[in-house]
Formats: sequence, C-alpha cells, structure tokens
Amino acid sequence: MSGWAIHGRIVTMADDGPAAFSGRVWVRDDGTIAAVTHGTAKGPAELKGAPVVDVGHSLVLPGLVDLHNHLAYDTLPLWAEPTRATPWAHHDAWPRAASYAASTTWPAYAFITACPAELLAYVEVKALVGGTTSTQGSPPSNRPRDGWLVRNVDDESFGTGNRNLVLASVLTATPAVLADRANKMRAGSAFVYHCGEGQQGSVVAREYDDAEAAGCLQPRFVAVHATSVPAGRFADWTDAGAVAWSPFSNLWLYGQTTDVPAARAAGLSVCLGADWAPSGSKNVLGELKVARLVSDHLGWGLTDEDLARMVTSAPGDVLFRAWGRQVGRLEPGALADLLVLDATARATPYRALVRATEDDVRLVAVAGRPAYGEPALLTTALAAAGPAGAPAPTTVRVGARAMGLVLTDPTDGTTPWTWDQVVARLEAVRVDPKHEIEVAQQRGSAFGADGLDATPDLGLQLALDMPTGVGPVGGLPHDLGQVVVPPLQSLVHDADWLASVHGRGFHGGLLDGLGTFYG
Amino acid sequence: MTATTHARAVRSADALRGTLLADAAPRLAAAAHLDGGERLQVIDALATVLDGVYAHLPAKRAAYATDPVQALTLLRRRAGDLSDAEFHLALTRIVAGLRDRHTRYTGPTPLHGRVAALPFLVEAYGAGPTFVVSKVTSPTPATSAESAGFPRVGGESPLSRGEGADSAGRAVGELPGDFRAGAEIVSWNGVPIARAVELHADVETGGRPDARRARALESLTFRALDFGPPPDEWWVVVGYRPVGARGGLGAVREARFDWRVLAPGRAATAVSDARLARKLAVDPAGEAVRRAKKMQFSTDLWLADAGDAATAPMQDAVSARALDDRTGYLRLWSFDVQDDDAYLDEVSRLLQGLPQEQVVVDLRGNPGGLVWAAERLLQLFTDGPVLPVRFSLVATPLTRQLADSPFNRLELEAWSPSLQDAVTTGDVYAQPLPVTDPGWCRDRGRVYPGRAVAVVDATTYSSGDLFAAGWVDNGVGPLVAVGAGPGTHATGGGGATVWTYAQLRDASAGTDDPLPALPAGCGLTVAVRRAVRSAAGDGIPLEDLGVAGRPYTMTKRDLLDGNVDLLRFCAQVLGDE
Repeated sequence: MSGWAIHGRIVTMADDGPAAFSGRVWVRDDGTIAAVTHGTAKGPAELKGAPVVDVGHSLVLPGLVDLHNHLAYDTLPLWAEPTRATPWAHHDAWPRAASYAASTTWPAYAFITACPAELLAYVEVKALVGGTTSTQGSPPSNRPRDGWLVRNVDDESFGTGNRNLVLASVLTATPAVLADRANKMRAGSAFVYHCGEGQQGSVVAREYDDAEAAGCLQPRFVAVHATSVPAGRFADWTDAGAVAWSPFSNLWLYGQTTDVPAARAAGLSVCLGADWAPSGSKNVLGELKVARLVSDHLGWGLTDEDLARMVTSAPGDVLFRAWGRQVGRLEPGALADLLVLDATARATPYRALVRATEDDVRLVAVAGRPAYGEPALLTTALAAAGPAGAPAPTTVRVGARAMGLVLTDPTDGTTPWTWDQVVARLEAVRVDPKHEIEVAQQRGSAFGADGLDATPDLGLQLALDMPTGVGPVGGLPHDLGQVVVPPLQSLVHDADWLASVHGRGFHGGLLDGLGTFYG
Repeated sequence: MTATTHARAVRSADALRGTLLADAAPRLAAAAHLDGGERLQVIDALATVLDGVYAHLPAKRAAYATDPVQALTLLRRRAGDLSDAEFHLALTRIVAGLRDRHTRYTGPTPLHGRVAALPFLVEAYGAGPTFVVSKVTSPTPATSAESAGFPRVGGESPLSRGEGADSAGRAVGELPGDFRAGAEIVSWNGVPIARAVELHADVETGGRPDARRARALESLTFRALDFGPPPDEWWVVVGYRPVGARGGLGAVREARFDWRVLAPGRAATAVSDARLARKLAVDPAGEAVRRAKKMQFSTDLWLADAGDAATAPMQDAVSARALDDRTGYLRLWSFDVQDDDAYLDEVSRLLQGLPQEQVVVDLRGNPGGLVWAAERLLQLFTDGPVLPVRFSLVATPLTRQLADSPFNRLELEAWSPSLQDAVTTGDVYAQPLPVTDPGWCRDRGRVYPGRAVAVVDATTYSSGDLFAAGWVDNGVGPLVAVGAGPGTHATGGGGATVWTYAQLRDASAGTDDPLPALPAGCGLTVAVRRAVRSAAGDGIPLEDLGVAGRPYTMTKRDLLDGNVDLLRFCAQVLGDE
C-alpha cells in the first residue's frame, strides 16, 4: 500500500483531546486515512517512505459536509417575490408565487437539459471552494456518479452501485411512502426528508407527526428544516437522529428558523446545510456564519466548536450509520476527505473555521485525491498523492485568487477539462436557452428522421428536485423564448451577493451581518 | 436545369425508385431473429407496459373480450417453440387485437422509417362500396438491388428470373397502360376485392368496423414497416376493369404489381425534440404512410420538404385554395409540426388569403401530431372559448411510480395526487387534465370571420380526433364525417398521447422498477394518456368512438373529380346553419 501524508495543525474533530495539534494525517491510496500522528512521529509501516506535504501552521480539517442542498439550482441568484410583504407560511406557499417558476424552475431546467455536465461542474466546484467534500441534494441522475468532484450524499455507493444508501425526498411524502422509508431505514438506509418546513404553528408541522406515525424517527432519519416542529416534540424522537439546519434559507423565506436548542436538548444531531442558491448561502462556510449570527442574536450560546461540528463530525456520524464509512472526522479508517485552511500559529481552530472564507481555503482533497487548492500547494500535493499522469489542474478564479482545480470530463472521468470550457458552455446556454433546450431535446426524441428509434442516446440526464411552481401541465412556458437564465452567480460570498441580501427576504436585517465576515 | 433542380431530380429518382420488397426480404428475415432469451425480454416488457401503462386496457378488455396480458403470459410458455416469423406474428396479433393504432409492436426490422408501397391508391365510394384506383404513380425504372443497398439472393433478384411478366406481357416496374385512375378493382390476389378488404380489416387496427375497413383499404397498398410486419406477398395480382375511351369500363384484366420499399422520411417541420415528442397524439404508421403517399403522388411537394420551401414553409402540414369567390378550402394534412406557432402563423396567413364568407376545413387522412397544434388552431375559427381535451393516466402502481419520478416532474407530476388518491377511491383513471394549457387556446383569437365546416373520415386520427372533438364540443361549426359502405361515420377514434418504449424506458429510469432494454431494433408504441372530451362533450372518451359528424358517402366523382360532390354538400351544410 502506498500513500502520502500532510503535515500541519491537525483538527481531528475527535470528541476528546486537544482541538488541534501539530501532526500528520497519513493517507492511503485507497482514499482512507491510515493514521493520524502527533508532531513528526513516524507514520504507519505500510506508508513508510510516503511523501509528506507540509502546510505549516495551516489547519488540516476533515472536509466539510453540507447535509442539505439542491445543487441543480446553485447557479442562480437569490430569489424573492417582489410583491411579497410578509413571510411565507410554509413550503407550499412560495412555489405558488408569480415569479417563482420563471426565476427558478425554468433557468435550472435550461441548464440540466442543455449542459448537465457543465452544470454539475459549476455547482460542485462552488461547494469545493467552500471546503465542502460531501454534499446532499445532487439532482437525480440517470447515471451513477460516484467519485467525481465531491461526494454526492444521495448517490454515493462507494463503487457498489447501491444508490439506496441514502434516500431523499424534497416533496411531502404520503404516509405509505414514509412507512416504506421507515423500513428501509431499519434495513440500513438513511433518509433525508424535508419535514415541517414552515413557520411555527403552520399546517406543515403535521409532516413531523406523519413521520413519527410511520416510524421514521430513527437514528438514520434526517429531518430537513423542521422549523415548524414545536420545541417539545423533538423529545419524542427518542432514538435520536438528526436535523439539517439551514438558517439562511429559513430566515429568508419564513423569518424564523429551527429551534436548535430544543433539538440539541433532545439529543438530536444538528447539521448545517447551505440549501439552494435562491434562498441560501453559497456553501456551508457561509452557513456557519449565518449560524453564528443567529445563535448570537437569539442568545442560544452555541460555541464555535458546536458550529464546527455541525459541518464535520455531526453529519459525518449520521452518514456513517448508512455508509459504514466515516467522514467529518480525521481518524484511522475514515475517508480521507481533507480541508486545509490558512491560519496563524495561534489561531483558535474552531473559531478559525467559523470565520473562514473562501479566501482561506488552501487545499481540498476528496478520497485522498487533491482536488482544489492554491496552485503551488495543489501541485505539490498532487505530486505526493500520485499517481503520475493525472491531468494538470485547470485555473479557476475564486474571488481575488487564481486557484487550481483538477477537472476531468465526467462522461469518461479522464479527459482533461478546463474551467473556461465549463463556463463558456454555461454562458452559451444562458445566452440562448430556447435554442439550446431545443437542440438538447432532439437527442431524446424517439421519432427520428429515420423513423422510430428504439434506443435514442439520452446521455447524462438530470432532474429537478424542487417544486416546479404554478404553470401549465408540462411545467414550462409554451414559448421557450420566455425562459431567461440570469447571469451565473459567483462562487464566493462577494460584495454583489451581500448587497442582494440587504433589504430582501424576511430576515429583518440579521443577515446583513454577514458583511462583517466578508469585509 | 439549375443545380438545385438537378440535385432534386437525382434525389427524386433515387428515392422514388426504392427497392423491391423481394430484394429486401433476406435482410428482413435475418434481422427478425431473436433467441429464446430475447423473446422473453420482449414479452415481459410488453406485458409490463400493457398492464402498467396502457391507457385503454380496461376499455379494450371489455370492448373486445380480450386479455393481452394473459395472452402474453401464454405466449411466454411457447415462445421458444416458434419460428421467428411465428413469434413476431403472434406478438403482432396480440397487440393488433387491441384495435389501437397508437399501440404497436415493432419487430426488429432493419427498415426503420420505410414504407412498403404499391404504385397506386385504391379508394371506395358508394354504399356498396365500389373500389376504384384513385391515383397511380408515374412509371419508374426497375431497380437494381445493389443500388438500394440490399443484398441479392444468389447473386440475382428473385424477380429477375423471368417470372416477372404479367398477363399482358408487361415488364417489371411498369404499369399497364390502361391501369389509370378510375379503373375499378374487382379482385385482389384472386379474392373478390370487398372480401379481401374485409379479411384484411380483421387484422387491422381501428376500434369500429368502418375504421378498420378504412385502414385495411389504405394498407392494401401502403404499410409502414416500423409498425407492422411486411406484406406476406412480394407482389399482388390485381383484377381490374379499365376505363375505356368513352368513359365506360372495359373487360376484367389482371396485372401484377411489386411491393417496393420507400423511405419517405419525415418533414423538416415535423416534431423533432423530446419535449414535444411526449405531447404527440398521432398514428405514427399513418403519418409514415401519409408521407409515402405524398412521395408517390405529389413528388414535387415531397421534394420541396428537403429543399428551400420558403414560399410555403408548412406545405407538408397545410395548404389552401379558393373554391369560388365565396368559399375557401383549407387542407390540414397533419399536425406533426415542431413549431406550432409557425403552424398557426401559416394557417392564419392562408385563411386571410381565402374568400372570407365560408371555408371548408378538410382533415381527412390527418393522422394527428402535436396536441398543442391541433387544439390551438380551433381559436382561429371562433369567438367563443375553446376548452382543450383532457388526458389522464390509468391508475396503476407503475404509473404512480412514473408520476412520482423526479425525471418526469415536468411531464407527469400533475397527475400524481389523483393517482395516489385512486388507491383509496378505486378510480381506474387519474384526474383528467389538459395537455394544452387553456390559455394557449385563446392567445391569438379568431382569424377567419366567416362560417366554417370541418370534414373528417375514419382515417382522421388522434390529434385529428382532438381537433374534431374541439370543433364540435366548443361549437365552432358543423362537422361532416365522410365514409363509404355501412357503419358509423366518424373520426378514427384515437384518444391518447402516444409514447415509444424508449420514452417509457427513459421515464422509468428514476423509479424502483426501471424498464429494461429491448433486443436491438425491437420497440413498441403505446397509448399513455387517455383523452376525454371537454365542454359540451365533457367526459366522453375518444378512443374507438371518435367524433361523429353529419354522414356523407363518397361518390365516384369525389374520387376522380376533386371532391366536387363533397364540397357541394359542405356548402349546403353551411347554408343550413
């Protein structure tokens, strides 16, 4: 067995011991962690002679986990219904807004239809630049996508082809479906379910009751949002699972958020999710700051460690129950998903993570493979991690920095791809979505020029997972010329995006505080 | 001759020549082979689709006392004992027993998009009826097998062995000089023609006897090879009475005509993308035959499809002319158009160029096409509201899965709640919903100010049925239903949108039970969403019933002299309004 090691200030996210120490994480070439050692102690015998990449004082953390997202929409800007003056009651209300479908469904449809691979590249890179190595909410795909840029929580099968390790549902499930999911959880699957998303006292609180009645309140159940769930009801989840908390999205739509203290008091794991771009932050690095603002504003007293665990060990432990593999912790046997954050020698590790921005991300590795980072460090890490012959990183501009990105065409996994190619294709679709949709749809027509085609090549197909909105049967405008795709949103929480937060949504100005982290 | 004209002429000669069916036969036979395992794959997929998706299964079981799923189960037990031809024939018969032109089994033919054709058209008139030749092709030279890309058997065509002369000593590929429009057909391969049509109708699709006879008559001379077996015979022997010099009929003669294989292609304006292909209500075999007829009998227009047709951009789908200074005539050949806005634009332009007092809208033989195109067109003729036809899925576990799949959200999600409710209520179907948004049926408004009458026949199908239903139910105008012989006079009765197996398989990809691939070349089409009428006809199904109109029986003058009696009848109907 060969591998490599990284030396820095190691933040293992272990439940005890120091928050950080100088040491090394030893990575096998099978993508798992062989050992974590202190100082310059020798590594495991199996990795004797393995190259070591030294990142100095920088923090070496487990890659971050985003437990709630909808990636298909993550090129889009924040959305707010222009005429809406009061917060929405629940998740069935805002999809009926007049501007909803045209602002979300239609442009997302253009991308998933005309350039699905480029869309995935863009949104997964958007996760990577925020240190995310596992994200929930991949668009349903007709082809397994194990091991591309980041782990797709819903699709990950670890090469087994079993795509039912983690099940998900955005839309309200019937009691029968919930009962089926309860049994699948009993058989080992996890179930990430939008549950009770809405204001306290709204009708959607019943979804939690239905989940309980179906037997879903299990350790492998992840209740997304649960904002309407009364505080006392969390205690009924005695065999505790997890809540996916997306405070930005909650405040943006409802002016309220999940009762996190009550959930924690009931023993539930609280995990962060950035949620989709139309009502969410850019990535979980951003969501950490929202959580910080909310906790401080509401006097919840969440520590930086509490928050840091919400994007590392907490979701990692939840996923372990389904995957049988650990993420979110640096420990022997865990998956070698790594994040290197720039930090001073005296930086407090959890505080540094909570306050880190995309500019602080130095390196990200998924399954032991360096994927993104500062060009020099990425090159060094790639040389150490091997094997030789990997495609040269492409350059992607992230904020003020030119960063390196290992990018290959997902259709074969080996052909080098440049970031400029990705963006150029997305821009081409954005400029003329009608034409691009029509061209793409000709691929899937079974009525070809030569008559009936029994096996048209459909290529990679993705599906939208959010409500489609009010519209004609078929969901799209009659005239595809009405599909307008807004400019691609930046990968980072930049000034334009921060400005778009101000005075919109129903956060009452609280989210304006994000500016203090990105000044 | 210009370069363009020359190129067209070359294309014309190549395409019109086609190839002899006899020469293609070895290739057809070789492609037809399926081993035992592949046969089970086909049977199982067909059973899954018919039992789980087929929109008309409950009605067909009742109407025809047939159970195709059980028949497939039985076929499964003996599939391995059959020859290839027997197997495909057995499958075809089971599916054809549904009497549904939307729902077809496609064997592993190498001749996708091809149509087997004879060089003439037979139509019927009168109550008898009487069968006459209504169109013949211009003579074309005999085809070399190699030029059409098909291998010869033993180095020569079976038809080049000196057996190819008919009773008149005519060379292969030529029509007898007296075999012209107006000749009366008296026999077909030695069988009296009426009986031959009846026999063929027995294996044809079509819900009503008159619809089956109409289809049988058409398929005497044209068969789409994507959607049915090729003709059993390589040629037919036709007994006919030629038209004499003074217009009378001569003595009975016989001639032999070879089946040829044509590639009529699809019009450049036809539906070509996946989104719209899921909104097709069409008889795909009928559309292929329509194109083949056009290729044979309106060659210049067929060639124009491949060239620059700027002067008549939708000529494959619509045409118009003035009948006199009061009456216009609009011919809706097909609704198979990719751009329904352009289609409406062209129809509007044509209508504005016609006499504005009254118009005859002729949809005979229209095999359907894009649902939106048909239903939106109605508004051009009326000030009143137009309610579109509504569609529903049959309520089964498979349709529930399909409607719930994330891949089908924009296509089927609207039916999901009622499909779920059907588990409780026991309803056979989901809630009927329009495929055409009602707002799109009033987004242009009336264009033609005068009175309008629509003309249909039993080969007006699918979106043609939808148009006729909308015409009647929304009170747009009177409907004339043309026929010949006994029986109901109505449209063909195709009430559904049609999907291919490939589309269904694609739609099932996100479900717990994805449909498997079929052996190479095999496929099927199936009625997926069942149509029921709206407005005055609210809730009435279209399948099999069609839309009845004021009955009209074709005359000989209609067939041979530009529908003169029919158009006079239409004018009378409009005058009575």
